[in-house]
Amino acid sequence: MNRIRKITRVFIALLLLHLSAGAQNFVSKNIRIGLFSSTPLEDIRAVSDKGNAVLVSKTREIVVQLDVKTLEFDRKLMQEHFNENYIESDKYPNAKFKGVIDQAIDFTKDGNYGVTVTGVLSVHGVDKKRTIPGKVIISNGVVQISTEFNVACVDHNIKIPKLVFAKIAEFITIKAEGKFNPLK
Amino acid sequence: MNKIKYLLISFSLFTLHAQAQEADSLLKALDSGRVASTVDAAFKSTHVVLSHSSETQKKHDLDLRIRHHFGDIGGRFGSAHTLYGLDVATDLFIGLDYGVTDDFTVAVGRSKQDELFNFSGKYKLLKQKTDASMPINMTLFAQLGWIAREPLNNSEFAQYSDRFSYFFQSIISRKFSSRLSLEVMPGYLLRSNVEDHGDAKNLFSLGFAGRMKITKRLSFIADYTLVNGLSRPKDLTESYYNPFGVGLEIETGGHIFSLNFMNSEYIVENNFIPNTKKSWSKGGVRFGFTISRNFTLFKSKNEDPDKKSKIY
Repeated sequence: MNRIRKITRVFIALLLLHLSAGAQNFVSKNIRIGLFSSTPLEDIRAVSDKGNAVLVSKTREIVVQLDVKTLEFDRKLMQEHFNENYIESDKYPNAKFKGVIDQAIDFTKDGNYGVTVTGVLSVHGVDKKRTIPGKVIISNGVVQISTEFNVACVDHNIKIPKLVFAKIAEFITIKAEGKFNPLK
Repeated sequence: MNKIKYLLISFSLFTLHAQAQEADSLLKALDSGRVASTVDAAFKSTHVVLSHSSETQKKHDLDLRIRHHFGDIGGRFGSAHTLYGLDVATDLFIGLDYGVTDDFTVAVGRSKQDELFNFSGKYKLLKQKTDASMPINMTLFAQLGWIAREPLNNSEFAQYSDRFSYFFQSIISRKFSSRLSLEVMPGYLLRSNVEDHGDAKNLFSLGFAGRMKITKRLSFIADYTLVNGLSRPKDLTESYYNPFGVGLEIETGGHIFSLNFMNSEYIVENNFIPNTKKSWSKGGVRFGFTISRNFTLFKSKNEDPDKKSKIY
């Protein structure tokens, strides 16, 4: 009888642990993701506020995904060229980064962490293992992230033709920032 | 007892498994609300060879379009005497297309033939979606033609309204893959100035056009317009032919060049639909080209610094 009570206790403890782990997931549907290409001839910028992201605090796993068609340029024709000729969004609609935060973070306390995230960046159908630096800020249960890193077009098989009037850089700077809310 | 142990183990295994899957399944849940997006750029340009495509100008984009049709390559008017038609310009065209919104374009143009001024509106009514909810694009096109030249004889243009012609067309297209797009274009032309007295004033037309991308920036384009065999009388003294054009379209980001071969002497619908008198089989093919350059106007209205592009 005693034994059964003990097992029940363990069982309940496990259940609670599982539930609490579930309560420590964070999600966001409006990560702001921007790209910036700079050459001596032309600067090109685009931005989207529609990045989806998930953060699992227990495993420190983080996934950020963007529907690349939501990136807006100030010139629509440029946007069409980006989708048609470079990123081929009909074939590869999403850009995604999935990784694990390398440092330990206590998500229950307010704090400010400089971190690196190691994982896989998938752009234009090509997966590339990356370690990306970023910041995690926790305040009142809201988790905020920000990052800036470069992507080499050649790494993701994005070709820059010679016969174009718009000049595109070989390295594109990607910026992402946003707030996560705890998943209830 | 063993049963409880088994339950415990399987439960903890389940928990572990759930965690490994968690990030992906949560992302999937976030993604599920995503609406189907439109399939853009069935055609690269607002025109195919002779005909219009279903595309409209982007908002606040102004397209300057210069077109040229040379003379017959072969036959009586061709050969080396005219450098295979290059000495002759059967029609020249200069026009401006402006996107009032992403879906509505207004245009003005002027042709050498008949000193024709054309004014047109083009509205994208339906847009193809990535899911099955909308399989096609549909664009409505209306064009007024105004013949500005002097009358050739006293009876021509007896009334001033005889100088006007009106063309209406609905353009239905589908992008079948990133490479292949096809369209059909039923149209109706109303006119007063008829060259052959036996000919009908008003004509039905049915156009077909397509684009096949060879590389990302180079496409093969073609269009054919059925005029004979629809409402047109058969016993005419003049022989008219159905316009057929093929070409290569080169896109360089902002500029579009197309190098074309076609039997039609004329450039604007109000001219080439009723008056094409040359045929592919009798040396009546000619070379033609289009140069199109896009300008983005009112860029300063964009306030978001993260979207600002700048040319130095």
